[in-house]
Amino acid sequence: MNPIDDQLNRLFRAAAQGIAGQGQSDLVSSPAYGLETRVIAAWRAAQSAETGFWDMTLLVRGLILASLIMVVSFWPALTSAESTTTNPFAEYLQLTDSTVPSDDAP
Amino acid sequence: MTDAEVMECLARGRQGDEKAILELFHYMYPHVAKLVQANLPARESAEDLVQQACIKVMAKLNQFSGKVPFLHWVSRIAVNTCLNQIRHEKRRPEVRLADLSEDEATVVEHLASSPGELDASEQVASKELVDKLLGSLRPADRLLMRLMYLEGRHVDEISSLTGWNRSLIKVRAFRVRGQLRRRYSLLLKENP
Repeated sequence: MNPIDDQLNRLFRAAAQGIAGQGQSDLVSSPAYGLETRVIAAWRAAQSAETGFWDMTLLVRGLILASLIMVVSFWPALTSAESTTTNPFAEYLQLTDSTVPSDDAP
Repeated sequence: MTDAEVMECLARGRQGDEKAILELFHYMYPHVAKLVQANLPARESAEDLVQQACIKVMAKLNQFSGKVPFLHWVSRIAVNTCLNQIRHEKRRPEVRLADLSEDEATVVEHLASSPGELDASEQVASKELVDKLLGSLRPADRLLMRLMYLEGRHVDEISSLTGWNRSLIKVRAFRVRGQLRRRYSLLLKENP
């Protein structure tokens, strides 16, 4: 083995033992004050975000359904409006109107 | 806590049982704290980073499917939190012999002069020397070296922790090891 590699390996081994020998710090043994509350809050926020997502999709579905109902309920009114333009009486009036001379030429 | 117990806690948590969530938190906390401390960016407070990692885990708890062991999943989030932090750090300049403390310089001398393992009294100085050497590397490379040589993790384990593929890890480790070799050689050349 390269002597430099060998020295680096020994250095890393000693450093790893140094880290292991340090033991558990206060940070590892007990969570910081208030962290439990923050953690629960984060979890609740994630839960409510998911619920919010479903609420949103429900809202969108509701809107689509409402617009469908609107279209269906307005459909007869729209078709009846169209039928007035195809009224035979209206055609008769148009014909009568067209027989009237529109210019004063002799 | 077994994975089945973790899933049970998670199911209870989904039904609104906060005690179950706290049980999970206390189970994973020491693991997260150790990981964060080991891979701590130089200027970051360990406490802040541990809190950040724990909150991230809790916010993503519902995404845990149970396909991988719970602690592996937690470790990955913790390591990624550290990695995101150290990405913002700048590299330190190359280590020179003049930058080393007396103990660290002694360690270099001992390594060069004797083939045996270092004394227990030199372990702290060795750790500091390694920190200085790793400080001159890119953040991701630094993390890899820590996981591989200081924590003694296998390539597969590093892959599951970081999300990097195995060949990337091997190539990167080879390249970074070469960089460390060059930097360490420079120290030796300076050592009279």
